[in-house]
Amino acid sequence: MSSTLDLGWWGVVLAIIAGAIRVSTPYLLVSLGETLTEKSGRVNLGLEGTLVLGAMSGFATSYLTGSPWLGLLAAGVSGAAMGLLHALICNLPRVNDIAVGIALFIFGIGLAFYLGKPFIEPRAPMLPALPLGSWSHHPAIRSAFDVSPLFFIGIALALALEWGMKNTRWGLIVRMAGDSADAARAIGRSVERIRTYATIAGGFLSGVGGGFLALFYPGNWNEGLSSGQGLMAVALVIFARWSPVRCFYASLLFGGASAIGPAVQTVGITEGYYLFYAAPYALTLALLIYSSSPTQALAGAPNELSISR
Amino acid sequence: MALPRYDARNRDTGPPEARAPPPAHATLSWRITARRLPTDSLEALLLSLAALAVASILFGVFVALQGHDPLAVYQTLYLGGFGTRFSIENTLTQAAPLLLTALCTLIPARVGLLVIGGEGAVVLGGLGAVLAGVALAGAPALIGTILTISAGALAGGFWIAAAAALKHMRGVNETISTLLMNYIAIALMNHLISGPIRDFSQTLKAQSWSIPNPFMVGNIPGWSVHWGLVIGLTICVLLHLVLRHTTLGFSFDILGGNRRAAQMAGLPIGRLMLLACFLGGAAAGIAGAIEIVAVHGAASESLVVGLGYTGILVAFLARQNALAVLLVALLLGGISASGGLLQRRFDMPHAVTSVLQGLIFICVLASNASAGRWRRSSG
Amino acid sequence: MTPSLPEVEIVDFSKRFGAVQALDAVSVRFTAGRMHALLGENGAGKSTLVKCLMGYYKVDAGRILVDRHARAIAHPYDAHALGLGMVYQHFTLVPQMSVAENFVLGRERLPAVLDWAAEHTALRKFMARMPFRLDPRRLVATLAAGEKQKLEILKQLYLGRQFLVLDEPTSVLTPGEADEVLGEMRRLADAGELTVVLITHKLREVMEFAQDVTILRGGKVVARIDVADASEQRLAAMMFGQSHDTVKLELASRAGPSANYLEIEHLHALGDRDTIAVAGASLAVRSGEIVGIAGVSGNGQKELVEVLAGQREAESGSLRIAGRAFNGTRRELKQYGVSLLTEEPLANAAVRSMSVMENLSLRQFDQLPLARGRFVLNRRAMRPFAEDLIRRYGIRTASLFARLDTLSGGNIQRTVLARELSRDVRLLIMQNPCVGLDAAAVAEIRGQIMRARERGAAILLISEDLDEILDLSDRVLVMAAGRISYETDRASADRYEIGRHMAQGRLTA
Repeated sequence: MSSTLDLGWWGVVLAIIAGAIRVSTPYLLVSLGETLTEKSGRVNLGLEGTLVLGAMSGFATSYLTGSPWLGLLAAGVSGAAMGLLHALICNLPRVNDIAVGIALFIFGIGLAFYLGKPFIEPRAPMLPALPLGSWSHHPAIRSAFDVSPLFFIGIALALALEWGMKNTRWGLIVRMAGDSADAARAIGRSVERIRTYATIAGGFLSGVGGGFLALFYPGNWNEGLSSGQGLMAVALVIFARWSPVRCFYASLLFGGASAIGPAVQTVGITEGYYLFYAAPYALTLALLIYSSSPTQALAGAPNELSISR
Repeated sequence: MALPRYDARNRDTGPPEARAPPPAHATLSWRITARRLPTDSLEALLLSLAALAVASILFGVFVALQGHDPLAVYQTLYLGGFGTRFSIENTLTQAAPLLLTALCTLIPARVGLLVIGGEGAVVLGGLGAVLAGVALAGAPALIGTILTISAGALAGGFWIAAAAALKHMRGVNETISTLLMNYIAIALMNHLISGPIRDFSQTLKAQSWSIPNPFMVGNIPGWSVHWGLVIGLTICVLLHLVLRHTTLGFSFDILGGNRRAAQMAGLPIGRLMLLACFLGGAAAGIAGAIEIVAVHGAASESLVVGLGYTGILVAFLARQNALAVLLVALLLGGISASGGLLQRRFDMPHAVTSVLQGLIFICVLASNASAGRWRRSSG
Repeated sequence: MTPSLPEVEIVDFSKRFGAVQALDAVSVRFTAGRMHALLGENGAGKSTLVKCLMGYYKVDAGRILVDRHARAIAHPYDAHALGLGMVYQHFTLVPQMSVAENFVLGRERLPAVLDWAAEHTALRKFMARMPFRLDPRRLVATLAAGEKQKLEILKQLYLGRQFLVLDEPTSVLTPGEADEVLGEMRRLADAGELTVVLITHKLREVMEFAQDVTILRGGKVVARIDVADASEQRLAAMMFGQSHDTVKLELASRAGPSANYLEIEHLHALGDRDTIAVAGASLAVRSGEIVGIAGVSGNGQKELVEVLAGQREAESGSLRIAGRAFNGTRRELKQYGVSLLTEEPLANAAVRSMSVMENLSLRQFDQLPLARGRFVLNRRAMRPFAEDLIRRYGIRTASLFARLDTLSGGNIQRTVLARELSRDVRLLIMQNPCVGLDAAAVAEIRGQIMRARERGAAILLISEDLDEILDLSDRVLVMAAGRISYETDRASADRYEIGRHMAQGRLTA
């Protein structure tokens, strides 16, 4: 990436933009999935395990079948399976969904590392990118704008979810289950079934997010692949006040923040690399402190959510 | 004869209450059954054992699907954890920090807070220990060790107490805040050990300055297990006594049982939450400090090995009981310890122990659903 | 041209919960186009009956006949399909959704994608025909209690229900709103559009609006009469099983004024959603007197008690006991002899997961004999302490160590009562103390209150039951719209004047 040095500070800006797009995609997918889950009244802290398991299954399937798209599908399916497990256990009476999330986090990561050992060395076919930077002959710009179609799928999904929550039958039912389980039961709807579907969908999207990590960027499988994106998504959803479109903006923000560290390294700033790394977490915490109040529930929080009580 | 249950939400729409005033002799009937009914703790124990059994079976199926003989795996698990003197020592070494990190979830849980910040508190404890140890170079050995560990305790304590303060003053959910603080702590440590407090003579990996050698803690005589085990054990037992036999512990129970009842009883809610979180964080901080004074001597990424997260597991399995933590930590330590043997004998990645631990956790959580079914009825 | 209303008849309903026979061969015929009252005291089986009818509970035995045909109602869906609907005491509305969304959600068949323009038009047309009106775009969380109740009723009518059960609909309404709602329901019944079943324990409502009455007692039907042939006294007699004179307690007159013990001045407090709940309430209670605060629920009483109990922070104003500032600390509670009997004791004043013994120790656990020094707890001393209280207050429990939530509601209330009244009580604050209790327990509590008064305690009684207030208080205050709006003493208390003041305030529940 020697050409980046030629760009100097513009290279930094470029890197941040590129980083924002690339790194935000898994954040976006996972947070959209978690938004749906939380709107139905459940918190899924096991998304980190789901993400990692999705990454591993995606990579393994792509390696074994030669098709990255099949890999992506496998990633989603494994994520959905974890979501189903989470939902089934949480449907039992007196079960704390946060504890289940942590259990699945440990289980999912353990399973992924265990089954994924043989796939650490090999290279698997990657997902293709859309070469949106082909107008430039500068290699840095071109590679910065190699965007995965999943980014645009994510945006479309965000818009669809935002619209769907207000204008489709399923959207209203999911919101009802998350806001007043009593009301849902009063009209005879099974709150458990609604939450199960929402959690499965959330798991699927997290799995796909993991697949993105393994099959596009960074594009390999190893045990340090995820840096907590799954858990971060929960914070991101709160940050975005449970709005899918705001999840998109928040994901861009976090993606950009994560990219600052590596980006400024290229212009010689090596101190504080890790502090930049902490930026998204600190930012979320700061925002949480700012927007919480000791007496009121967070504005826009689904009533039934255990973390908003 | 079972008494009908009162559900406050359905006070007018639930089953009817007993109607006639109790006849005179009825008030004596309770005397006959006033012996202690340990139904709840007996039931809890049975449920945990049942969960362990189910988890073991599921694990057996899992390894069978991989082509291994489940019985052989069970045997290896036992051997690796408790079979030989060497494996027992290994188990105890693994269990020692878990005794303390479990308290980081357990004590706040007693006041109704779900804290998952053990990982961060361990890291802060390690950093605190390193900084104090280096600053106190030249002090007498025992004093230095004690102060070093104390510094770790304070660091961890204030870290988690901060989350309690955020909860009390701003209503920030403690699970999310301690989760985020884990990552901030790890990033902070990485930053410090790659620059400001780095020991540049160590080229293998980034590492902080080492604490003075005299401050290091050795092994229990005759065993290859460091004194950290005894520290952890003592703290757990002391804590149990405090939680069960002091007014402070009773206040914790009231707050954890019903916040509104605690308010009505005039208990200082904020102070209780801060104290509970400080104690929990201090325990995990001590675990981090012990990793420094008894194992590594300096802070590095070896501090971040999931001690905090496994501690959460221990606390839940022990059903937030400080004495049960001793047994559970031993169990999970045994599982961790047998990882090496499993790796050698069956060529299984070490992660298989996480699979087993996760399965146990899931089964125990699911078993909570059956709690209360066997509660003995009155009459 | 409305289709003819279904004739619903219940035959021999029986339902058992554990050892308690909630319904015992109950048969009722609900004549179409009339308002039918189900009367009975708390626990008589009224709500169980309608919940079985609506498919929420499964009856052990019995049949439902609709238009003379036996119908199986195993699920609320079945009831809805037959045109039966129910409006609950606790709202089944979704707070974060709009009025329109709440309406639409109740429908059986919703289209996959909603055409909101069309829905809003249809709603406007519907509302035009209705006796009450609401803005469809408003968020339910911002509606007042009365509006929510009306929305619940409108929802049922919107869904085309022709048989409507109203479960204590006026408990959160002012007398004016109650009359409006019941009046409209009666008009709809008279017009042949609706059959109404009114569950209530208020005799006045039955006499004014209902046409038929079925009285339940202990899960059995004790009477079926026409309202035209009844009187309040007769209804009361049948409800309670004996001629039930409201106990007019002889209150000994006070010899000269005594000092104010509790003083509340200009208290302001916010409610749960940052709405104003207490808006400058001021009152004083003297030692040896009972001050009753009457009011419709939702006018700040709950928040006022929460401030006194330390469960809510006051925005401004002062609380003084014996002339000194009161902050609700444990030391002050003991020093001033403050005892509280809140409503819903399990939620507010006791710990369900702790044992009866431990709950009884809540006030005294940090003093001798239960504590040694200030830090060490003496669990062994808790036993005789608890045994004594259990005996004196007649608490029925399997054992000292049983979890509190294994006790019946009445015994939980007795536990809290025992704990609160067995100390040196100099200020007693009570909130709806007799809700959900049987007549014997109510008599016990009233006795305890009187005894405390004899001993010179200052007593503040906050209740939604006007009769209770009028029976017990030396002075009657009315709380409306978050402040004390009216005061009168026992001798000159006029029920209708008090009711008029109760009607002034309208706040969000």
